[in-house]
Amino acid sequence: MMLAFYSGFLKKAPHRSMAGGLYRFQRCFALLLCLGWGVAAESIAAAPQAATFFRGINLNGPAVEIDGQYWLAGDSPSVRVSGGAFENQSVALEPPTDASRATMIRSSRWGGTLDVEIKEMPRGWYQIFVFVWEDNHTSDFQLQVDDRQVIERFSSGKQGQWHRLGPFLTEVKDESIKVSARGGDANLSGIEIWSGRGRLPMIVPSGFVQEPTPDQLAFFENTIRPLLVDRCYECHSADSDELGGELLLDSRKGMIAGGASGVSVVAGDPEQSMLMRAIRYTDSHLRMPPDGKLPQDEIEALASWISMGLPDPRLEDTIETYRERTAIDWEAARDFWSLRPIVKPPLPVVKLRDWPKTAIDHFVLADIEAEGLVPTLDADKIHLIRRVTFDLIGLPPSPREVDDFMADTSSQAFEKVVDRLLESKHYGERWGRHWLDIVRYSDTAGDNSDFPIPQMVKYRDWVINAFNRDLPYDEFVRQQLAGDLLPYDSPEDRQQKLIATGYIANARRFGSRVDDYPQHLTIEDTLDNLGRAFLASTINCARCHDHKFDPFTAEDYYALYGIFHSTQYPWPGIELDQKQRDLVPLADTTAVQDWFDKKNAEQRRLEERIKRLEAERDKHATDSAERKVAEQQWQDAKEAAKNHANLQPPFDHAYAVQEGKVIEDATLHIKGNPSKLGDRVPRRFLSVLGGEPLRDDDVTSGRLQLAEWIVSPKNPLAMRAIVNRVWLYHFGRGLVQTPNDFGRQGTPPTHPELLDWLASEFRESGYSIKTLHRTILRSRVYQLSSRSSSVALDRDPNNVRLSYFPRRRLDAEAIRDTLLFLGGTLDLSPAGPHPFPPPKDWNFTQHNPFKAVYDSNHRSVYLMTQRIQRHPFLAIFDGADPAASTPIRLTSTTPVQSLYLLNDPLVHSQAERFAERVLAAVPEDQARVSLAFRLALGRTPDEKELRASLKFLSLSRNDVSDPTSAERVSWQALARVIFRLNEFVYVD
Amino acid sequence: MSIKSLWQKQGARHVFAPHTEVCTTRDNMGMRRRDLIHSLVGGSLLLPGLVSQMLSGEEARAASDSDPLLPKEPHFPAKAKRVIFIFSNGGVSHMDAFDHKPELFKADGKKTGVGGGLSNQQRKLLKPLWEFRPGGKCGTLVSDLFPHLRDQMDDICLIRSMKSDDNEHYQATLAMHTGSFFFSRPSIGSWVSYGLGTVNQDLPSFIVLAQQMPYAGTQVFSNDFLPAYHQGVRVIPGAEPIANLQPRTTREKQQRLEIDFAAALDRKHFSDRSAQQELGARMRTFETAFHMQTEATEAFDLKNESAETLKLYGLKPGQTDGFGWKCLVARRLVERGVRFIELIDGSSSHNWDQHGNMAEHADHAKVIDKPIAGLLQDLKRTGLLEDTLLVWTTEFGRTPGVDGDKGRGHHSACFSSWIAGAGVKAGITYGSTDELGATVAENQVHVHDFHATILHLLGIDHTRLTYRHGGRDYRLTDVHGNVVRDILA
Repeated sequence: MMLAFYSGFLKKAPHRSMAGGLYRFQRCFALLLCLGWGVAAESIAAAPQAATFFRGINLNGPAVEIDGQYWLAGDSPSVRVSGGAFENQSVALEPPTDASRATMIRSSRWGGTLDVEIKEMPRGWYQIFVFVWEDNHTSDFQLQVDDRQVIERFSSGKQGQWHRLGPFLTEVKDESIKVSARGGDANLSGIEIWSGRGRLPMIVPSGFVQEPTPDQLAFFENTIRPLLVDRCYECHSADSDELGGELLLDSRKGMIAGGASGVSVVAGDPEQSMLMRAIRYTDSHLRMPPDGKLPQDEIEALASWISMGLPDPRLEDTIETYRERTAIDWEAARDFWSLRPIVKPPLPVVKLRDWPKTAIDHFVLADIEAEGLVPTLDADKIHLIRRVTFDLIGLPPSPREVDDFMADTSSQAFEKVVDRLLESKHYGERWGRHWLDIVRYSDTAGDNSDFPIPQMVKYRDWVINAFNRDLPYDEFVRQQLAGDLLPYDSPEDRQQKLIATGYIANARRFGSRVDDYPQHLTIEDTLDNLGRAFLASTINCARCHDHKFDPFTAEDYYALYGIFHSTQYPWPGIELDQKQRDLVPLADTTAVQDWFDKKNAEQRRLEERIKRLEAERDKHATDSAERKVAEQQWQDAKEAAKNHANLQPPFDHAYAVQEGKVIEDATLHIKGNPSKLGDRVPRRFLSVLGGEPLRDDDVTSGRLQLAEWIVSPKNPLAMRAIVNRVWLYHFGRGLVQTPNDFGRQGTPPTHPELLDWLASEFRESGYSIKTLHRTILRSRVYQLSSRSSSVALDRDPNNVRLSYFPRRRLDAEAIRDTLLFLGGTLDLSPAGPHPFPPPKDWNFTQHNPFKAVYDSNHRSVYLMTQRIQRHPFLAIFDGADPAASTPIRLTSTTPVQSLYLLNDPLVHSQAERFAERVLAAVPEDQARVSLAFRLALGRTPDEKELRASLKFLSLSRNDVSDPTSAERVSWQALARVIFRLNEFVYVD
Repeated sequence: MSIKSLWQKQGARHVFAPHTEVCTTRDNMGMRRRDLIHSLVGGSLLLPGLVSQMLSGEEARAASDSDPLLPKEPHFPAKAKRVIFIFSNGGVSHMDAFDHKPELFKADGKKTGVGGGLSNQQRKLLKPLWEFRPGGKCGTLVSDLFPHLRDQMDDICLIRSMKSDDNEHYQATLAMHTGSFFFSRPSIGSWVSYGLGTVNQDLPSFIVLAQQMPYAGTQVFSNDFLPAYHQGVRVIPGAEPIANLQPRTTREKQQRLEIDFAAALDRKHFSDRSAQQELGARMRTFETAFHMQTEATEAFDLKNESAETLKLYGLKPGQTDGFGWKCLVARRLVERGVRFIELIDGSSSHNWDQHGNMAEHADHAKVIDKPIAGLLQDLKRTGLLEDTLLVWTTEFGRTPGVDGDKGRGHHSACFSSWIAGAGVKAGITYGSTDELGATVAENQVHVHDFHATILHLLGIDHTRLTYRHGGRDYRLTDVHGNVVRDILA
């Protein structure tokens, strides 16, 4: 575990919360939250040598001694400082500090643009702290170290508040370090520089007793130690099962360091100590111990101890002890089922030796037998063709397709159906939609105004085509993560690869602001989805701290973060900057360059013309007619130049990513807070999967490497994850039932050997998804009836062993597509772009966000789906969540769904059309009933159903006076009845 | 031995017999299988009377064991059984309405304080436009913006130390509903539905009355990862308050006939698939939906309300819109056992967001003051307030310093909300802000604390109401929240 331990007693009010990770103890925090005194985020690799004090600079004052260290004067020859000089020693500092530090703090340089340069620095790594304070009103500013923004927006707080910001890591190559503040007025008081990248030694703040007297020791041993052991150690010692608030109270070092909420004690000042506030129950939000207030004498004893400067003989380093105790055991971590290498297992022995058709059947049957069960009967062909048709293309089989299959008595009959369906272009529409679920596809950006992304459909179509052309899965991954970095063999190939990175571009956008746009949240959304989609891992949990259950460290997270930090995302437009930019032109690079060259040349010419015409105009007398003409010419030229500048390139664009303008490693965000920066983390893969770094000569973002790491045979997660998904969509349940989480919070596989066997086969097939379909569909397990035996129901109520085929409800898309299909309304061609309003009309704000539902007769995969507003139909029938990965479609059963089927105009209109079709097809009611059943349910009605239907038709005609409409009305009624049946929406 | 005989040995032969038992005892379709088979065989299936008789009554509507909306026991006994949650969009100014700041009146224009749009700039202080007067016996000070509500202060617990974390409408609105500022999460109404179920299966457990969309759109009443049973059903005042509530079949009898015939066919289909509970559950939802058409329509119909009641809400006879309509419908839904009802005041584009001119607050207050006061009185006189919580809130307050000419900016650092009814101390104020209303001075109630307290009042421990999703147990209060015990009665 990496723990960010703090030593010191500075404070910082977090002015913004992250992603719902809200600070509850706002008031305490405002007083005491420390920005990281002595925090050097430690990497899991061997900790580098401890850093050593290099120098301090008292920016607006003379040389001083602070903490026993020598600080240079601000006017030293090696220091250059801009800004005004300011001093006010009468302000009371909060919290109080020792005299020499206070004097240094209260005398500062100030200004909206402040630059400090420290020269004559030897080459190497340094850690910098910056002392700032507020003398009157709060102001916000940005802080930079060596031109790198280290704090995006810092709020200086109330009068008297001061902060020691840092440490900021920087590498000196050119003998100087620069510290700058931009934006609001900043007061910079001092700079403290430590040499080296290692952990900073703990400074014992003033006020702590260094050498306890015997009396103090006796007081500690008799009163304080027993009290702490009794009341606090359970949650606040290195042995605690779960350490509370990252606070250790079992050593002097722990007392000094404080915890996640900042420093806990201010030596000599109980009133300023958070510990005292907590045990006095001062604040309703922080009450310790939580199960009851301490007796008054114990509270007073602790107050006395703090007053006397916390004399403490407990000198052992329990922080280190705790770190060691909780460090990840990598070997053990890699022995977890999902991280073990994939080994192709031998086929298990089964008793019913004639039963298995394929290897899959061996694995499944062995488990069925182990449970004391037998598999059910094979499915009727009539059920089987309906099952596989919905499964592969999401539409019902036509009566003719059913007839053909029934008539085909060859042993290859089923394989022929499978082949036909896999060749259908509707296959990609069905299976592409599954992938779009996983990658939380959306046609809008998800910011507060939910800006439309007209180009997103190109990625949607790319996914559909990728399935149709059976793009090998490794290549499928590569192109989505790094299509722009891959070789290509034609312009068309290149464009498709550029479009594929729309996967990354589709990450969610947040808020409505531009200057402090929370890019870290967009990257978090990227990593969250990438982890789940490709690795079945919740790596985003390591954003604020090491993963609580799985072997992912915060460094792992920021190692991957750097890759996307070095990636240029397109800008979809948000409330305060409503135009798209940074999209990727879908044209030859030289053609793009040429166009821009020409445009720029023309622009220069037009600008020169303006100058010339202006000079021309000025030659004429003020009120002369010539001047008027010249004036007009000048104005026209200006207008022409403006129009030309607005000229948009004539290329089509992809909403896709490119290499970032700056390629660099990211810096760890302490506790996930982007304004609390820790150590720089080199880009690399997850430690538990080898942690391979980028090559030294790699100048790219690292996306292609990342894709290679993911699809590498050395990574067992990726292939296990995808074969599990394919199995899940065929059977409605995965071999691992948590397809997005193969970690300890997920469930282990029900058929671990089968999972590995499938993954091995998949690799051997060259990662062909269609081959995987065939492998699964050929099995006898897939072709089982959905009827269960009572023993199976009793022993295996959830059918985990698959002794029969799981019956399933159609998903939202299949329900809608089937209704339209039966009504003869469904347009089976691929849909084009969505009819979004033109970009010039994009005035969307959070007050009037983009919101639309576009009617369409195309298949539901082509429906426009928004991040923020659910599509009304998809929301009712458990459609995918467009804001977060949906690995499994739930099937809820609600009255609102039934109301839809009872009364929605779409149901009624399709029933009307379906009735027309049936009426027109055959002349006589009995045959019509039969046809209706065949079309909608894939089977003919039995005798009873037939008779009942005829009776229903006649009852429905009873009250209708007009005999010509009576027939139609009754048939529409029967159509509606059929559309509402369980058999209509459930597939056996 | 063949597979077939093996399988039959495992019970396939008896697949009908035992399941007949299941049908009659557990699936509660109100339909005994032998009757069904008899009727199918006898051809009498389609006599509508018989079919409806077979399906009628409580038996048909009783829920099965697996019904996720069945009423559930709370974690501990509690007075409150249900909630009416009123949300005023846009940021209601606390210092102009519920939080009297004499210093701000004095300091008008003379001093500076937090002001401006979204950011904390120093601006000239702007005095409140409305006088404050004591209300009720308790004498809680409320401004002239809310004269009717002021008269009801003896029944209200006013919280003056609310706190949120984001100065944007969208984020703050989302957080007030879901506890999350950026990411979609289940709404508080969905959580309550998930935690407690509902007593009236003919109406949704969570109903949202919203003429237009609030900030953050449907996310504010979304079930998100909770099962769809718990989604807020939006009611739009007007002809068809719930989508597809009106039968589209012209003849009433015809719809019943269709439902009965579908049920008969479903039952036949079910007869050898009865192990799958959801098939039975789905059959039942058509009955529920059928009843909802009348039950819900009736709930929205105010024709049987007395003239005196209508007056209490400021409604004219025949009126089918306005905030008074929403308030009175809320009472009617409460009577019918709906678990969580949200009333949305204003929309994302027309609301309390007065950056330029605070005087416009008066127009918005006028819309809700009398109706909410009426609702509170009505709940009290009907005894419903004994076990109903009435909550009013907004997403954040407004700045003491000026924004624009005469407006105020967004201010999440403090604002006011109130709760009335079951289990809450009445006639008190809780918490306070500093002399200008810029920060919380004591007893801060963060949005998470507010949520934790509402759940507590319903008998739910907010730390135990969890749902496993994506490898994590989620809560409405994330990892935060403390019950504000001082306001519990």
